[in-house]
Amino acid sequence: MKERTPRKAPALRADRPGVRVAAWASVIVCGGFGLLPVYWLLATSLTPRDQVFSYPPRLFPSEVSFEAYASLFSNSQLFTYMQNSIIVSVVTAVLSVIVSAYMGYSFSKFRYTGRRALMYFVLASQMFPQALLLVTLYTVFSAYGLLNTYTALVLSFTTFTLPLCVWMLKGFFDTIPNELIEAALMDGASRLRIIHSIVLPLSAPGMVAAGLFAFVRGWNDFIFALTLAGPDKQTLPPGLVNTYVGEAATAWPELMAASLVVSLPVALAFILLQRFLVSGMTAGAVKG
Amino acid sequence: MSANFPTRPSLTRRGALQLFGLGAAATALGGCMPTSGGASPQGSAGLSGAGPTDFKFASWSLTEAAAAPALEQIIDGYEAKQGVKVAPTSFPYNEYINQLTLQIKGGQFTGAAHVDVAWLGSLAAMGKLQDLSSLAEGRGYTDAALAAARFDGVQYALPWTIGAIGLVSNAEMLQKVGVAPDGFPTTIDGFEKTLKDLKALGGGIIPYAASTKAAQLKDVLIWMQTFGSPLVDGDTVTIGDDASVEAVTWYKSLYDQGLISPDVDRFDARSLFSQGRAAIYDDAPVGRNAVTKESPDANLASKLNPVARPVLKQGDKPRALVWGGAIAVVDGDGAATAGDFAQFATSDLDTVLGDYAVRGLPPATAEALESDKVASDAFGSLFSERITATATTNPLWAFTSYSQVESEIANRVQAVLVGSAKPADAMKAAGEAAQKLVR
Amino acid sequence: MTAIVAYPLLTALVTAFFKQSLVVPGRKFVGFDNIVDVLQGNFFQLFQQTMIFTLGTTILPFAIGFALALALNTRIRGANLMRGLMLIPWLVPGVVVSFLWMWIFNGNYGVMNALLAPLGVEPQAWLAQPGTAMWAVIIAKTWQSFPWIMVMLLAGLQTVPRELHEAAEMDGAGTVRRFFAITVPQLKGIIGLVLLLEFIWNFQHFDIIYVLTGGGPAGSTQTFATSVYETAFRGYDLGHAGALGLLWLILLMALVVVYVRFSEKGEER
Repeated sequence: MKERTPRKAPALRADRPGVRVAAWASVIVCGGFGLLPVYWLLATSLTPRDQVFSYPPRLFPSEVSFEAYASLFSNSQLFTYMQNSIIVSVVTAVLSVIVSAYMGYSFSKFRYTGRRALMYFVLASQMFPQALLLVTLYTVFSAYGLLNTYTALVLSFTTFTLPLCVWMLKGFFDTIPNELIEAALMDGASRLRIIHSIVLPLSAPGMVAAGLFAFVRGWNDFIFALTLAGPDKQTLPPGLVNTYVGEAATAWPELMAASLVVSLPVALAFILLQRFLVSGMTAGAVKG
Repeated sequence: MSANFPTRPSLTRRGALQLFGLGAAATALGGCMPTSGGASPQGSAGLSGAGPTDFKFASWSLTEAAAAPALEQIIDGYEAKQGVKVAPTSFPYNEYINQLTLQIKGGQFTGAAHVDVAWLGSLAAMGKLQDLSSLAEGRGYTDAALAAARFDGVQYALPWTIGAIGLVSNAEMLQKVGVAPDGFPTTIDGFEKTLKDLKALGGGIIPYAASTKAAQLKDVLIWMQTFGSPLVDGDTVTIGDDASVEAVTWYKSLYDQGLISPDVDRFDARSLFSQGRAAIYDDAPVGRNAVTKESPDANLASKLNPVARPVLKQGDKPRALVWGGAIAVVDGDGAATAGDFAQFATSDLDTVLGDYAVRGLPPATAEALESDKVASDAFGSLFSERITATATTNPLWAFTSYSQVESEIANRVQAVLVGSAKPADAMKAAGEAAQKLVR
Repeated sequence: MTAIVAYPLLTALVTAFFKQSLVVPGRKFVGFDNIVDVLQGNFFQLFQQTMIFTLGTTILPFAIGFALALALNTRIRGANLMRGLMLIPWLVPGVVVSFLWMWIFNGNYGVMNALLAPLGVEPQAWLAQPGTAMWAVIIAKTWQSFPWIMVMLLAGLQTVPRELHEAAEMDGAGTVRRFFAITVPQLKGIIGLVLLLEFIWNFQHFDIIYVLTGGGPAGSTQTFATSVYETAFRGYDLGHAGALGLLWLILLMALVVVYVRFSEKGEER
């Protein structure tokens, strides 16, 4: 996507040869590190099964085969996993944005005792051993018969997305001038109305960013989905592990094809929404 | 219950027993049960008049391309027969016991579950398995097979495929180093020499694709027994004794000489073997289809040669490990039909023979064992004669914490292999950790 | 939110003082036995490995992400395309990252050995040797997280006022000088945030380690996170899992207190 660079943007001018060489060198080295594995993922997924075990491996498969993809799309279980992943991630994203919008607003625009402590708590909660929380969540959900439900997954994912979403949105709300809100208050608007008709629309990019972040958290999560959801409600990451670890771990073309297909939807969504994401994530941090 | 099969004459049954050499297994499992874990079976088994309902069926074989068709065939057959839906659940073998335990514990899984007989103790301890003894009667299961699917005297599962894990070799590769198909080295020294000869062939050959990943390092236990360790004596885990230390020292020396290779589990071994990069590996007969199906060598099937595990001193009895599959029933929704299904899958003759044609695992009923299809299978008979005939169960299976014990030992053996611990210290620690778990 | 995070956590921590199984009901108070066991066991080895993993997966991706951000902030051709492409590794789920690197590092058929062979490196079982397994895990995690750091720093770089650089250039400051005198101080806030979050997240990272090595070989890539999970959900031993979690939390709290002190001091200046 095209990004319009603001007038004050580029910091380093590329006209100096030294800078230019250094820039190219780091793009080549770091870019190679970033992209060669992606190439290998793609190449392996297109390698016929009987060639994948040739050694040394062929960097360019001598013939391209789509059999791995064909066998993938004949596996209905993977579609169940994908459907579960979409449901759980979307609900997590929506829920996280709604809750964190109100929490973020209160952190940003109200001054009350314990506010600072609460904010530290939000940060500290990122440090709580998730593996340990899982133990209790498992026992609690088990007691309430919630294991193997979407609810269990959405609740636990939201617990972990909230802190960062709140931080991101707080950063965004901080950039909204208090005068704007005070003016609206003078005009007799209620607090809630101010939030809904002034603050939230102004923070749309931040909310998109927070939502994306929460979506990805749900989409990528492995440990909670593995433990709290059974085979019917399992999302893609544990689903893939359960399908492909073991015997099928040696079915590399299928495994790579599945990996690629799983990664594609999120990658596309992100590349399209990149602009919001960057501004949302950095709103608070850059200025702060 | 459908028609009762007549019980086989005792002579035939003894024949089957000899063939499958499970006399020892029966005693081991029936006799030595140090821990009962206070578990008791749940509910009553089988349909007993009630109409069939839908139920869940869990199996790791559903994740294995070469074995899955056998199970799908059984499921289809049962669905057609009873007019119910069977909901399959699958986890890969290495994750299976752990995932199944969590599912049962959380109450999400009820119904029929394919289990490795090694896990019966751990599963029975949860108190959710049904006693299937009423379903086991009059179906022609061999005594040895029934014993293998019993824990603490209770028939927690119906035996399905009772066989063994042993060494499978590639006859052609061995021929290249002058080892004839029936001349496989019988002692460990001879075996090691053959491995060195194989290595000398070059071409990146892994002579023996033994398990070295923690998930399957339990394979080393049979070598400990080969070196003379009993593993368990009464209530005491004897790992850490001289024999177990010698076994691990030897295993490590194979590793250091490149005769066995790092980062290998059963599935890697199958893939290496099928690609012709490994000459020998450990597997049950079910591996036959897996290795031949994907092999670039169309004639690999004819080169597969099961061989007896070498022994420490000439004249010792070769060791082999019983590897059995059984179907247990987890009490709850659909359990009654699940019990009926378990009986159908394990003892309906046509079903069992159809299964044998795909998975090649020895069935558990005398009738199926004696059928032409099974008796005329050259690989299967050779496997039974050379490996299953002397197979015994692992005495550690008697403990309800067997899975934990196994991983304690596996991790410490792995520490030896990668050089971060000395065999004697590591095995002593493994024995102590295991002892703590079984106490 | 306090309730949904704090309550389960407290309940889990309490198990540190009990002998309790995940699968068999009932529990028994054992005082500090579990904690003593864990301290006498492999706690310090785990701490060391967790720190190596955390520092490695914070510093390496930061270096790569920063280098790329600086490079893509110049007007080189294709910077925009590159920026988009570089996001891919970050968008790939952790288990996929593990599968991919498991294949690359595979000892028998992996491409890593093939690439290194011309340099005279003997084929290695990267994931099966304690010396290389930790690096393999760190590299896989680095690959996943550098894009995020790049994006954050790139956004920060674009807010650095151009006038500052122009003024400094007039005064004769070279590229390197301007980098340390202008770029780094201007980015201080965002650098601090990125490093802190990476540290916190990596400290409890689970997916990539669990799928790539399962903590092996011989426990050499086990961290607090994987070890707590293994103890609770494979060993079914809630008491020891709780004890390990409790010690982990205390340790992290101590680190945070140090950090907060440090950063508040910085603000006062």
